[in-house]
Order: sequence, then structure tokens, then C-alpha cells
Amino acid sequence: MSFLTPLYLLGTLGLAIPIILHLLHDRPKNKQEFGSLMFLDKTKPPVDRKRRPTHLLLLLLRCLALLLLAFVFARPFVTVDDPADAARRDRQWITVLLDRSASMQRGDLWAQAKAKTQTAFAQLGPGDRFTLIAFDDSTEPLVEIKSWLGSPSEAEVKARLDRLTKPGFGGSNIGQALVLAGELIQGDDPGSDEPPLARHEIVVISDLQTGSRLSDVQGYEWPTGIRVSLRQIGEDDQGNAGIEQVASRAPWAAAEAVPSFRISNSANSIADELEFLAHTTAGDSLSQKVHVPPGRSRVIELPSEWAGKSVERLAIQGDAAEFDNQFHFAQKRQQTVRIVYVGEDKPNDAEGSLFYLASAFQQSSALDFQLEAVSGKSTGPLPEADLLVIGDAVDDPLAEALGQAIEGGATALMVVQSPGQTANLRRWVGADDVVIRDIASSDYALLQSLKLDDPLLAVFHDARFSDFTNLHFWKHRELQNLPDEGIDVLARFDSGAPAWLAMRRGDGRLLVMASGWTPADSQLALSTKFIPLLYSILQPVLEGKTQSRQFVVGSNVNVTRFNNGQAGGGITVMPPGDGAAAISVDTSFTPTAPGLYTAKGSDWSETFAVNLTAAESRTEPIVMDQFKKLGLPMTDPVASPAEIAAAAASVEKTEVHRREYWQWALAAVLLFVTLETALAAKGSRAAEPVMT
Amino acid sequence: MSGLHRSPRTGFSTEFTEYREYSPGDDVRFLDWKVMARTDREFIKKFEDETNLRCTFMVDFSRSMEFGGDDAGVKKSDYGRTFAASLAWFLTQQRDAVGLATFDRDVREFIPPRYRQDQLKTILGRLETQPAGNATDLCQALEKLASLVGKRGMVVLVSDFLSPLDEMERCLSLFTAAGHDVRAVQVLHPREVDFSFEDAAIFEDMESGRNLILDPGMAREAYQQKYNAHNAALDAMFSAQGIPGFRVTTAEPLERVLQRFLEERPTRAVVRQRRSNARSAA
Repeated sequence: MSFLTPLYLLGTLGLAIPIILHLLHDRPKNKQEFGSLMFLDKTKPPVDRKRRPTHLLLLLLRCLALLLLAFVFARPFVTVDDPADAARRDRQWITVLLDRSASMQRGDLWAQAKAKTQTAFAQLGPGDRFTLIAFDDSTEPLVEIKSWLGSPSEAEVKARLDRLTKPGFGGSNIGQALVLAGELIQGDDPGSDEPPLARHEIVVISDLQTGSRLSDVQGYEWPTGIRVSLRQIGEDDQGNAGIEQVASRAPWAAAEAVPSFRISNSANSIADELEFLAHTTAGDSLSQKVHVPPGRSRVIELPSEWAGKSVERLAIQGDAAEFDNQFHFAQKRQQTVRIVYVGEDKPNDAEGSLFYLASAFQQSSALDFQLEAVSGKSTGPLPEADLLVIGDAVDDPLAEALGQAIEGGATALMVVQSPGQTANLRRWVGADDVVIRDIASSDYALLQSLKLDDPLLAVFHDARFSDFTNLHFWKHRELQNLPDEGIDVLARFDSGAPAWLAMRRGDGRLLVMASGWTPADSQLALSTKFIPLLYSILQPVLEGKTQSRQFVVGSNVNVTRFNNGQAGGGITVMPPGDGAAAISVDTSFTPTAPGLYTAKGSDWSETFAVNLTAAESRTEPIVMDQFKKLGLPMTDPVASPAEIAAAAASVEKTEVHRREYWQWALAAVLLFVTLETALAAKGSRAAEPVMT
Repeated sequence: MSGLHRSPRTGFSTEFTEYREYSPGDDVRFLDWKVMARTDREFIKKFEDETNLRCTFMVDFSRSMEFGGDDAGVKKSDYGRTFAASLAWFLTQQRDAVGLATFDRDVREFIPPRYRQDQLKTILGRLETQPAGNATDLCQALEKLASLVGKRGMVVLVSDFLSPLDEMERCLSLFTAAGHDVRAVQVLHPREVDFSFEDAAIFEDMESGRNLILDPGMAREAYQQKYNAHNAALDAMFSAQGIPGFRVTTAEPLERVLQRFLEERPTRAVVRQRRSNARSAA
């Protein structure tokens, strides 16, 4: 027998009251006159040791009434366990989402999580459905049991769990796992011979760390009839500190030579004095103290004395959890970018275009620009280039070569500086009636109708950078009779004439500017827009051939981008560790553990580092309210009308049994109270006080 | 003049009491001439005054004397009044003067001892009135009565003596010092002796109205200790004052008590001592 509200059973303590009262004398009702009380003292309320049988009966009745009353309030019910009843029982589907992200490596969290998974078995009855899904960044269904058979099914799940000796190194994406489980339930189509599933429960077993991603749940329409229960493992009471590299906005734009790192400490951390360590390839260890108060983070640059020592691994020490204290570091390699300028300008002519182009593409630790100037009248072969800049009229053979290069995938920027370039433009645009006309005006022109949504100008999308009114064009050309299709006008002059054009030609791109950047033409070269614009033009080129050296576990590493974007087939990746076997990779590779990996081609090899997701370091638990705000069905919902009816019938069925119990108990209470009243009345009449 | 009782006064009778040296002013008729002839010294011969008895009954009419009655036996007041009435009848029969004083905290009624035709009737009439008094203040009543009772005689004090004894000795000594022959009769109810109640009850003091909730079983031992101590102190006080004390319970047959009372020699220790001294001197 069980009780719905067992706390009411404490009411049985009230039995002590009638027992004590019966042990005490009643306050005597009869009065006894006596000559003199001079020899009498007040005595304590006497304890009656000689209980009359009638009183015993009264006591018994009163105790029974109290006992039953407590019993009634505790709502007793009996769970019937016979197989026939089990068959009638509604089936349920329990989906367990087991967190195996890196943060579960802390302490004995993993063992706890596995044990907690097994506690879910208790809820399962014969015929129920059970699914076990492990998740980190990705989700992996581990076990699917369509009809629970008791012990054999338990053994199957336990065996699968035993194979998961430890959690992985991935980040934690609870949102994705929840949505997957929800979709599994939604997409389930039970066979006609199967009894329907009345209840769906998703049990999340996780440390529910703040670093877990929940965004997938946002806006997800939960199917009705699902209940999500969260079982938190472990209580993070000591906090944690984590390390990550401060990323530069674009890998090729990193002008700074010194990498910096952010060390963050959680608000509940017990440590504020951490040690920052560096391990070099030579096996040396360097260290320095870093003070990071709890709840704060601090960005530190790699100390200059460490920079030259080929650091391969950084670490922090002094916080409670160790799992995220290593940071593998692969030094960047310079990428070569080849730019060819076609024109007659001299490199040191401050009135020419080339001078400003060379000034814009400065060497950095990430990029090595190789700028080559080719005369328009050159008859030699066109050098290979990542970007072609055409500043003057080009003779036909070269124009032909340039046209082919563009069709073949090159990016070319044509700066229209004179009507003499009409023939070139006609050839490359593919329209014979295009005319270039110099606009003679005493007033300057401004840009308008800028397409800031275009990837080329997206860099100026922010309101802080989108003001072009200070950019004056003294001279510009009007391009007439341009074809309507295939050309994007990115910007126009205030006269309405196209200023910047973009078009795709074959596999390549052709960009046209109707005014140059030299001081004679405009203020562009000297404005703040110039360098971002050039890098923006260069970006698609760089994206295709540059590759970061820092990755996180679970991310996609495009191995073809190594070796300056020229890595061919037959690439192997060497995982960290001495005895690790090389992995043959076609185009991309997904690392599953942190460390320094080496990608090898036929004549090259590059090292890249894989680390834990920085979010994994944020181990303090998520505030439960957040789950509610995200609309997680954490209360018992009821699904379709049919299910509502079924559930109501089920409740009714149970309630009827319960009601029968407490109704009988209540009737017994009333009977006892009536008997007690009758007996007490009889007793009091018999004990009428004798007056003297 | 004749009487059955020895008068507390010396006077003219046949029974010699003592000698006393003559001092000028004494009646020369009482000179013992024979002694003077033998010893040449003048002695006055003193004789006990044999007279009719003057007996005053002092009966306690307080509320505490009302205890008893119905199934609890005879009331103490009924017993005491019957006892006094019986004795009064005896004394009247032998022509003694009988008086009555009733009291509670004060003297309620005083009938001086007389020998008259209707004296007994008056006394019985008075005794029949119901006691309505409140608290007993035996001492205050005795002080007043001592001034009312003039001639020496017998004083029979009928009470339960259930009141503090602090001042009692002094008040009784007012009578003994005045030469009264004091007899004390303590009338008690058997339940006051053994406190034989069974059920717990609210015990109410009949005089003060004070209430106590009691379990008799628990209170009995302490009660009896205090009761015995009170009676022992009372006995000691009577003995010091030369007062014969009779402790009776209402359960005892009255005739036996009367017999016991009458058999007590009506003598006083002090008087006897003086008389023996005089005889040895003679």
C-alpha cells in the first residue's frame, strides 16, 4: 500500500493527545465540602493508574478515529501488479539524453550520469519504449528498445553503457539533442497492432552547464504530449577557469604578431590566482602568475620572451577542474597572395594607382603580398595571380589573356581611367556598344545607392562605417549602354551613373570602378574606405586558400586549404599521440580529441591545433528559469482529445479505488466518533457529581 | 446551702483545705485555736467551699461543625449540641446552675449559668437553632467569654478545635488562671480523622469557601501527618493548662462518651497539690 500524501501520516502523532488525557484525571466535577482545608495542600493533576474499562473503550475509539483520520488524509492506494493490469496500463516512451560533453569528465560525473540512466529503468514497465541518445555537439542514438522486456532489456542497455567508458571532448548542445528527441517522437508512426503510447518523456541527464547551447530549442514547436525532465548531475560549487585564444576578425587581417589569450574564471570559482604555463616543442616549461578574480576574464598576450620559443601547448593551473586546462597552439604560417597590376604606373609615382595599391597591401605575419606590375603593352604571358588590377588600356593579346584568366576563375578589378579602355571593357563585359565618356564637371561627385548587403560592401554595413559623404570624386566616367543583365551596380554617382560594378564571367569575377583612387580622380585612396574595400575584394580569394591553424573538437577541418590552398589529393592527418595511426583524408576531417594534428601531403606538412570548445569551461549550472523561458514542456501536458479521455479514464479508474478506501475510512471515523459520543454521554451521566 | 460539687472557692464547709498565717483583718472566727494553743502562732483555717456547680457550656456554632450528615453520618454540630444538652439535663437534675455560650468568630449568645425552672428549656431552645456562623476564631470568642463568665465554675468547651493554635493557649489560660475548671471536648468526624475519601473532587472549605482540586489518595498521607501534628500540639497545650481533653468522633455512641466524661474526676491538679501541702504542714 502506498500513500499519495504520506506527510499526513504525521498526524498519527496526535494519538498521544487522547492517551495523555486519559492518563490524567478529568477535572473533577463533583464538589466535596470539608470542615477545614488547613491540613490539605494542592496536589498535581493526578495520573489515573486504574483505568475503567469504559474509559479504555473510549480511548480506543478516540485513537482509532484519529488514526483513520490521518489515514484518510494520507490518501492510501494500492498498486496492483498483476500482468493483466500491466497489459491494460498505458504505454510510455522514455527517451534518455545522456550528456557526454567534455565537461562531464569532471570528477565522477560520468559514473553518476550512467547510474542515473539506469534509474530510469524503474519507470519502465513491460511493453514501454526506451531510447538512449548520447549527445555532445552531435547526437548519437545508442539504444532503441521498442518494447521493454524487463531484465533482458536492462542488460542490453547496461552493456551498451559499459562500452561508453568515458565522455568525449565535444561541446554540449542540449538544444539540438532535445529537438532531435522531439522530432523522433513526432515522426514516430506506431503500427496498427501496437498499443498507442500515452506518455512521452524526455529525460536529460547532464551537468546542465552554462556553456551548453540551447539556441536550437528557441522557437521549436514542441509536439503535444511530451514531458521533459531534467536530471542534473553534480553541483559545481568550486567553479572553473578556462583558456581560449582571442580570435582575430579574419585570419589574414591579423596585423598583430603576438597572439593573445583570454583566461576566464567563473563567478563561483574558489581560485583567483592562476598559473599560466607554456610548453615548448623543446620540452621546456615557462610559467607566470595571472590574477583573475572570480566572475571576470582577462586577456593576456603571449609574453614576448616566450614568443620566439615555438610554444606548442599552453596551460593554466590552480582551478578546480582539470579537463579544460590545456590549450594546444599551432603557430601561424604566412600565406602568399599574388597580385598583378596591369598598367603603366611606376611603383613610386604618388600620382599613380600602383603606388596606393602597393601601400594598401602591406606584409603581415599572416599574409605575404607579392605585387607584380605588368605593362598593358606586354606581350609576355600573364603571371599567375590571386587578384588582377587593371589600371590602363591593355593591348589585345594581353586583353585576351586577361579575359581567359577571368573566365578561368580569377578575380579582376578594372579601374576605368580613360575612354581608351572602351575596347577592353567591351571585350570583358561582352557588349559591343558600351561607351566610356569622360564627365567634365566643375563640381565633385558623391556615391549613392550603395548596395551594403552585397558581400563586397558588407564590411561597411555597420552604421559607423556606412557614411560615404566625405568621399569626393573629382573626375569620373560614365559607362553607357551597359547590358541590363549580369551586372550588379554596387554604387552609383549622385548623377545616377554606375560607379562600381560587379559581374561574374565564367568562374571568375570582374569588378569595374568608373573612377580611380588616385588623388587626381578622387579621395578614395586616401579615405578610410580604401583598404577595407580592397580586402573585401580579396576576401573570397583568401577564403579559398587560407586556413586557420586553430580548431575546436567537432569542427570541420578543410584539409584542401592547407599548403596555401594548393593541397592536392592523398592527404593524411596524423592525430596527436605517439602510437596514433595516420588517417587518410579526402577533403575534410573532423577531429574528436584535442591536441596537435599534422596534415601531410606529398611534399608538404602543416600542423594544426584542436582544442575544447571554450564554452565547455563555463561549468556553473544553467538557471532553471531559462528552460521554462525557452518553452520546454516541463509540466505534464496532455495530448490529443483521445489521449485526454484516456488519461482522464485512467485517473478516474485509480481515483475510484482510492475514493473507495478513504470513503470507507471516513465512514469508520464517523462511526467511531458517534460511538464515542454515546459512550462519553453515558459515562458522564453515570458520574453525576454527588453534592454533600 | 448544700451541693454535690466542690466549689472552686474556699469558704465555709466541712472539708479543710489549708492553713494560712493570720494577718490583721482576717476574720478571727477562722483562727485555729488549737494550733495557736500548741504553737503560740495564729493560723487561719481555710475550708473548701462546697456549693452547687456553675457550669457554662461553650458550644462552637461555626460552619465547620456542620460537616457530616446524610450518608456521611452524624453532623459534628448535632453531636456536640446533643452532648451539651445531655450534660445540661444531668446538671439541672442535680440542681446545678447551667449556662450556655455559643460562638463562631465571635460570641453569638450567652446565657449565664442559673438554676431556674425554665433554664434548661431556654438552653435547649438555643441549642436547637442552626449554626450559621462563618469562620471560627476560637481565641477571639474565648477572650470575650472570659470577661462574661464571672464566678469561677466549670467551663465545658465543645468544638472541633480545627483552627490555628497560635493564640489558643493564651486564650485558654484566661479561664484556667481565673480558676475555672475547664474541660475541652473535641468533636471530629471520622472522615476528618482518616480522610477516607476515594474520588477526586473539588474540596471546598466550609468556612472560607476556598476550593482545592484533590485526589484523596495522594493527599491522604500529608493530611494525616498534619492532622496528627495538630492534635499532638493541642494535647500538649491542654496538658500544660491542666485541661482534660476529650477527643470524640461522631461515630462513637454518645452514651459512652458521656459516661467517660462523667467518670473523669472533677479535680484539678493544682488544687490537689496545694491541699496535700497544707495537710503535710498540719
